[in-house]
Amino acid sequence: MSETAVASVTVKKMLDFAIDGVAMQAEDGQTVIQAARANGVNIPHFCWHPQLSVPGNCRICMVEIEQESGDPWFDIACNMPVTAGMHVLTNTEMIKTLRQDTMQFITLNHPVDCGICNKSGECMLQDYHYELNGAASRSRDPKTHATKFFPLSDRIMLDNERCIMCTLCVRFTNEVSGSKALGAVNRGDHALIRPAEDADFNLDVYSDNVIDLCPVGALLSTELLDHARVWYLESTRSVCPGCERGCSIDVWHRKHEWRLSALDPQMNTRIDRVTPHENPEVNGLWVCNKARDLAHLFERPRAEQAMQRGVAADLAVAMTTAAQLIGTARKPVAIVSSWGSNEELSAFHAAFGAKVPGFVKADHLPIAGEIIEDHLLIKPDKNPNRKAALALYPALPERVSDARSDALPADTDLVLVWGEGFDSALIPAGAKVIRLNSYAHADNAGADVFIPISVQTERSGHYTNFAGVVTAFTACFPVKPSIAHAEAVFAALAAGLTAELSA
Amino acid sequence: MSTVATELSGTKFFMNFPVTDTSHTLAEYRTRFGYQALEKALREMSPTDVTKEVAAAGLLGHGGAAFPAGRKWGVVKLGDGEPHYVCMNADEGEPGTFKDRWLMECVPHMALEGLIIGSYALQGRHAFIYIRGEFDLAYRRMAEAIEEAYAAGLLGENILGTEYSLDVVLYRGAGSYVCGEASAMLASLEGKKGWPRNRPPRLTVKGLYQKPTVVNNVETLANVPVILRLGAVEFKKVGTPKSPGTQMISISGHIAKPGVYEVEYGYSWTKFIYEDCGGMQNGKALKCIIPGGVSTKILNASEIEGVTLDHNSAVAAGSQLGSGGMMAVAEGTCMVRLAQVIQRFYHHESCGQCTPCREGMGWMERILNRIVAGGGRPEDIDRLYQISQANDGTTICSLGDSAGYACSAIMDHYREEFEYYITHKRSMYDGNLTVEDPFASALVGVAS
Repeated sequence: MSETAVASVTVKKMLDFAIDGVAMQAEDGQTVIQAARANGVNIPHFCWHPQLSVPGNCRICMVEIEQESGDPWFDIACNMPVTAGMHVLTNTEMIKTLRQDTMQFITLNHPVDCGICNKSGECMLQDYHYELNGAASRSRDPKTHATKFFPLSDRIMLDNERCIMCTLCVRFTNEVSGSKALGAVNRGDHALIRPAEDADFNLDVYSDNVIDLCPVGALLSTELLDHARVWYLESTRSVCPGCERGCSIDVWHRKHEWRLSALDPQMNTRIDRVTPHENPEVNGLWVCNKARDLAHLFERPRAEQAMQRGVAADLAVAMTTAAQLIGTARKPVAIVSSWGSNEELSAFHAAFGAKVPGFVKADHLPIAGEIIEDHLLIKPDKNPNRKAALALYPALPERVSDARSDALPADTDLVLVWGEGFDSALIPAGAKVIRLNSYAHADNAGADVFIPISVQTERSGHYTNFAGVVTAFTACFPVKPSIAHAEAVFAALAAGLTAELSA
Repeated sequence: MSTVATELSGTKFFMNFPVTDTSHTLAEYRTRFGYQALEKALREMSPTDVTKEVAAAGLLGHGGAAFPAGRKWGVVKLGDGEPHYVCMNADEGEPGTFKDRWLMECVPHMALEGLIIGSYALQGRHAFIYIRGEFDLAYRRMAEAIEEAYAAGLLGENILGTEYSLDVVLYRGAGSYVCGEASAMLASLEGKKGWPRNRPPRLTVKGLYQKPTVVNNVETLANVPVILRLGAVEFKKVGTPKSPGTQMISISGHIAKPGVYEVEYGYSWTKFIYEDCGGMQNGKALKCIIPGGVSTKILNASEIEGVTLDHNSAVAAGSQLGSGGMMAVAEGTCMVRLAQVIQRFYHHESCGQCTPCREGMGWMERILNRIVAGGGRPEDIDRLYQISQANDGTTICSLGDSAGYACSAIMDHYREEFEYYITHKRSMYDGNLTVEDPFASALVGVAS
């Protein structure tokens, strides 16, 4: 935070108030729920969200305000500004009754089908039921019925019976993503969330955030639906490599203790879902759908076998051969990955430094139809760490003609290619090739030495995003013995280089 | 016009001329002091003077809540650099209320004049009329009045040659009851779904398009030219000290002479029912009265004895005068079914925004439907009270509260009918109200 920002915060007028007898301070203009959260008191809420407008429709955040006259006075905490000397009571008998009544209303037509609901285990309605209600329904009449499995888009299913009409999803598309693709139709207990007639929710690249926003099991990811129960999953803090924004994410995968040998081994090491991890400096509370689809990116067919000219080789043998090749080369050139972590880049630089000229390539280019840049998060460079790589090495020169030698010097006799996205046609004729890649690719077999390397979910490290913010990612899965970490490969190759070049 | 000119004693501000096919036009309105108050306001009074005069007259809102109009206007700060809006709430949807309809059909210019004066007092450049979509004649008369006013220089640029300019937008609603609630009405005017908004902020701080807005009922605005013409002192001489002026009352139900009546505040309630309205149809006894739209608590025949028609005595009697939509219920009416009909209305009209009303209205209707179908359980009465209680003060607008009051007031008065229905699985009155069929006697005559 800059100096001026700190100054402007301190200038804000502070008000003294109290919650349940505990004296607190609030900024002038804060609502009771905001002030309570700032002071570590959580007031129950469904429809309120710190970054969205206040509709005040769930009515669960009802609090009592102590009056001098002694008359009971209550109002919703999300829409009530704090006034000096206010005494907020959150735990009186009246408030308990009101909240229990509200929970009775909310669950009146909710199917309470937790056993088969994908939200079960992380559902606010479940939590508040135990916390605030804890009683069976008072109703003896049949529940109203509404649409089940209504497709809001190709990615999101809506169960209208579970919906509690908090309108968080509607407000998200109006106020954050800007697609205005959702709205409410009909009145009373027939009210439904529906896509807008003149908008397509499929075109909203932030659409999956509404799944996280939904406090109940109404909005469901078609990917996760009947795919995993959340209590078998745990999350690991990571960084989305989808663009240079580097959004902080949580990668959800099977808990260690639930990795069962009886299961398909794929299930033990797959990404079950990706959710945003709050990071005000980078992505706030949201991520785009590309981050949600990281499983598709990381779970492409992997390269798991080291090779020499297409013939399978032991990893250690391949590394030794590569070290020899690089050591004997007169004019070696390195093509540096923009998907390497800061640690790998510095290991690379420490290993080869100025001795081997390097060029940074873009491992991934925008695919057809992908949004290049937008108002919220998406940035044009689709690589997570090109900024850090460019701090060490220049970018790969543009090709001016079809000649092979345009991009790289014609007398190059060895090319070390790290990562994806390098056109083999650019390699000068006669040059030897060492290739490091995580994924299966036709070019892998053509290299003189091929070494399979780990992907982001198998190692830990840091990325530097476009604004210079460094964020960390942690390994989620173990790496197979036949696959090497790039850092280790560089160290081994460097050993060969120092031996030969000094000779 | 179906309305019969009534011979009610007391001062009348609106029903003081014979209604003819042309009495609503600008030319005829001018013969009844038409637009003289506007001339006076624009030429002789400052905007603040107008507000002060209205406040001094003690004009109460006629939409139902009886909030002092002058105080509402006084909240808006002139010269704050923001546009101000005045909206005429002509979305008369409260069941039993049809007095604004009469005003718009018979004296549209009077309401329009009040709207122009109100806009002048608040220095608004644009004013809005939100008219109920089901109104046809009222809509055409209002549109005609606006056209006439534009043609006569009473609207548009430089009204009556003064500096003041005003444009009026006439907007038709689409049939929602809740859009008669001021904030929902503004949301609907903005082109959004007609959902009420939370207060704070008040509409006089952030209303239409987030600008200070005053929403007044048709009758409230129609009173404004009267106040300016008579002066606050003369106006206060009419009615009672706490409720000055007159109240338009639309009475329906099992009453002998239903229709719209203009009543001076302080008029005897029993005299109004039994003499002016001719008592109940077919000489039946009065069972109870819904005083001002179904949202007000019912009063039985003995509770209106000695009560006068003004806000304070209605509140003292345990109800409200509300919107003036009075309904008389005759003996032999099944109150369980009455409650069911009222609740069906609230369920149908609940906007679906906030939880207690969205779920509670349907719940109450389903319970009442079950009781009427003979499936009532002993705990149902307590459950209905509980749902009413859980809607009291917990909802965004007052629809939920009103539905609760309506239902609980009926149960307070006629609990034995509910208990009878639940125990015997049939109505205490069998639900058949024998009302004489006007055609039946005619046929008898033909046969003989």
